[in-house]
Amino acid sequence: MGELVVKKIEAKNIVWFKNSNSYLVLEPIVTKILLKINKKVSLEEIETWVIKKVDAPKNVIKKFIVDIYSLYSENNRVTKEALLDTSNYKVPTKFFSKKQYSIKNRIFFFQFENEYLESKIHLIFAHLEVKNQTKFHFNYQVFENKNLILFVKNKKLIGRWKKEQAHVFQGKISMQLLIDCYKKPEEDWMGVFHASAVSNGKESLLFLGDSGSGKSTSLALLNANGFDCIADDFVPIDNNQDAYTYPAAISIKKKSVPTLLPFYPELDKIAEHHLKELHKIVRYLPPRNINYDLKLKCKALIFIKYNPEVEMEIKPISKIDAFQQLIPDSWISPIEKNATVFLEWFLELPSYQLTYSNNSKMIETVSKIFKDEL
Amino acid sequence: MKKKNENITRKEAIKKIGSYGKYTALTAIGTYLLLNPKTAQARSPIAPGGGF
Repeated sequence: MGELVVKKIEAKNIVWFKNSNSYLVLEPIVTKILLKINKKVSLEEIETWVIKKVDAPKNVIKKFIVDIYSLYSENNRVTKEALLDTSNYKVPTKFFSKKQYSIKNRIFFFQFENEYLESKIHLIFAHLEVKNQTKFHFNYQVFENKNLILFVKNKKLIGRWKKEQAHVFQGKISMQLLIDCYKKPEEDWMGVFHASAVSNGKESLLFLGDSGSGKSTSLALLNANGFDCIADDFVPIDNNQDAYTYPAAISIKKKSVPTLLPFYPELDKIAEHHLKELHKIVRYLPPRNINYDLKLKCKALIFIKYNPEVEMEIKPISKIDAFQQLIPDSWISPIEKNATVFLEWFLELPSYQLTYSNNSKMIETVSKIFKDEL
Repeated sequence: MKKKNENITRKEAIKKIGSYGKYTALTAIGTYLLLNPKTAQARSPIAPGGGF
């Protein structure tokens, strides 16, 4: 018997399989059959039950049920993550650079073996850099070994990644920073979302969307217009459903600079960085007023999209549509208790599609959402 | 390019349990979504952005 979590979503069901950490959106009758299979109800009993519900010949129904058995088996298979290869590696004796960052009054001492590795991490945390600290709380060492990127924290190997997976390495650094900053282990986090998040001091809103849809630019606009920046690109939510501040800089693409300059004249002096692998030119904007004490419930999910042909349009979207967009882009804890919390959290949240090109109207709409005046 | 890939990913999420000939209602009931979250907390993936 596998562990499944089942929830209702509109006229269908979500079934989460613990063993494969998969989320399936299914018709209710298929869900019921899956649950019977999971309880080891006999094929004959399931057939008898289905025949009463579905008008089709016995042999067709049998095939249907057997196909659902296959679906069950495929998703109930344990997908084991490859064990971390802890075999020989040597921490370099010399590093290209060392940086100290102050995050929530804790000093993180980073050592980068080369400029490439430094560029992967430093740029989004540069505004947190401090100098000449005599003590540190955490030591993060980043170096290369046999063409892999290695990350060692406080003398313990955390992971190894190929360079094509550098964004996963960056995510791991971010996760470890999160864990150390708030002293909350990984199992206390519900999920990390590829989104931007703002707050009005009382509640938070998540902005989701494809790369280039306007999440970061909208965040910067809102941060300059009275809203707090919770996070850009990496939004952590704990298993109490609270969104936490993550202090990384906001990545601003070149095309957004003219839009933001009136609000951030300092952007003019902030250096451009050419991210060759991403074919992007970005500037890193420090968030205004980083507040680590904010732990805020989420009010809504906003799927945002900049569109020069639309001034400002907001409409609710179906939960199934929102779910389909949210899951593949998110890390959600594979622990059953957290997956359950995640589903309950998601199903309570309204989801909207917001399309805009008029900044003031977008800001006004966000304000209305917070005030329940939509 | 990334947006096209993301649309393909969403279409790939739609699956069918099986095909049941003229019993199209069964085929329809057997349509489902299979969604997998990321296995690790990655930052923005390596791909050209939309430029906004």
